[in-house]
Amino acid sequence: MDVTSPHPLAAEPGRTADPGARSSQGSLRRALVGAALALAASGSASAYTATLNPASPQEIYLQVGVGSFTNDYIHGGQPGQNTTVNSVTATVAPGVVGNKAPQAMTTNSTATVSYWDGYTYCSVPGQLYIGGFFRTTGAATAAAQVNATVPASLVDASGDTIPFSTISWTSSGNGDSGAEPFPGGTFVNGGVQNVGSMASNTWNESCWTFSYANGTVPRVGTYSGVVLYTMTAP
Amino acid sequence: MIAACRPTSFFLALALTIIWACSAQAKSTPIDDSGSQALEPSVSMHWKSATPRPGTDNLMVGAATIRVRINVMPWLRRSGRIYLALPAQQPGPIGLSWITQGRFMLGQVRSGNRVLVYAGPITTPFMEDVFKFQFALAGSLLPRAVPVTYHFEMDED
Repeated sequence: MDVTSPHPLAAEPGRTADPGARSSQGSLRRALVGAALALAASGSASAYTATLNPASPQEIYLQVGVGSFTNDYIHGGQPGQNTTVNSVTATVAPGVVGNKAPQAMTTNSTATVSYWDGYTYCSVPGQLYIGGFFRTTGAATAAAQVNATVPASLVDASGDTIPFSTISWTSSGNGDSGAEPFPGGTFVNGGVQNVGSMASNTWNESCWTFSYANGTVPRVGTYSGVVLYTMTAP
Repeated sequence: MIAACRPTSFFLALALTIIWACSAQAKSTPIDDSGSQALEPSVSMHWKSATPRPGTDNLMVGAATIRVRINVMPWLRRSGRIYLALPAQQPGPIGLSWITQGRFMLGQVRSGNRVLVYAGPITTPFMEDVFKFQFALAGSLLPRAVPVTYHFEMDED
């Protein structure tokens, strides 16, 4: 905060510049003293100028699976970092492998409650929570984008592969209606794909339900791959 | 004729009332606060809530402390009312609240208004106190640093 140099009293329209009005019945000497005092008062009046700096103009928070908040936002919760990598898996029984019946996938994520308001939003183990926000000052900006960096394939210990495009997801949320900020989709076979967006200064969340297409008969094994989700704010 | 006299009396009474009202208006004068000292060079504004909240205006808040020392010598041995005025200004609606150490009253004001912080006799040439201010405004109004001005002013009784 800066305390600026004095401003002249004349800068205050409609205000009187003479705090000590003197009687016109006094002597010339008194009148001159009165004028001098009035001038001194008007010349030294000041105003404070505080410079407001947006010290933390941007904040972002993205949660896929479990996340960290000190508390729900309504109780002053603050977002934190959580390095957990959750998994989504499907175990296909021998009798149905490759029969083209999609196989539901389940997650080890325990995130069911929205940190936005404490509402039980997702159901586990069938759904994976994804949500977050980004804050920025000034007028509303372009939305932040959430992208997934996807390997070409899931791979087993022998190097056998299953295309990532065999995995897709639907999007919903307890009590939701209308479009989801993170809609359903299907993974690409290697590359970066957009999976949703967040308007500035809004909370966005969805629950994803994954499934495996099960259209082929791969070699027996455990196939895995890691998808990295990133958020880019303008 | 009674009917003719009544309008005359009415207008006379009305005129007297207006004159009385004008003479009772207090003079409002900015106070010399050049002896004050700001303890922070600028006000760092942070989000009031870390997360966006539905139905709120996404406030940013920031605090500043000022050792206020105002020159009230021109009103010495008189009575007056001291206000803290926050003029309407860019970038838009601003809230200002403060606490003091007791010489002045704590309070809050929205831009475009003023609030009484002292009323009574002026017994010393200078009045001092420590004000801890908190500014608040919508984050949408603060894309960059902005100056905000406010001042103390005196109404003589």
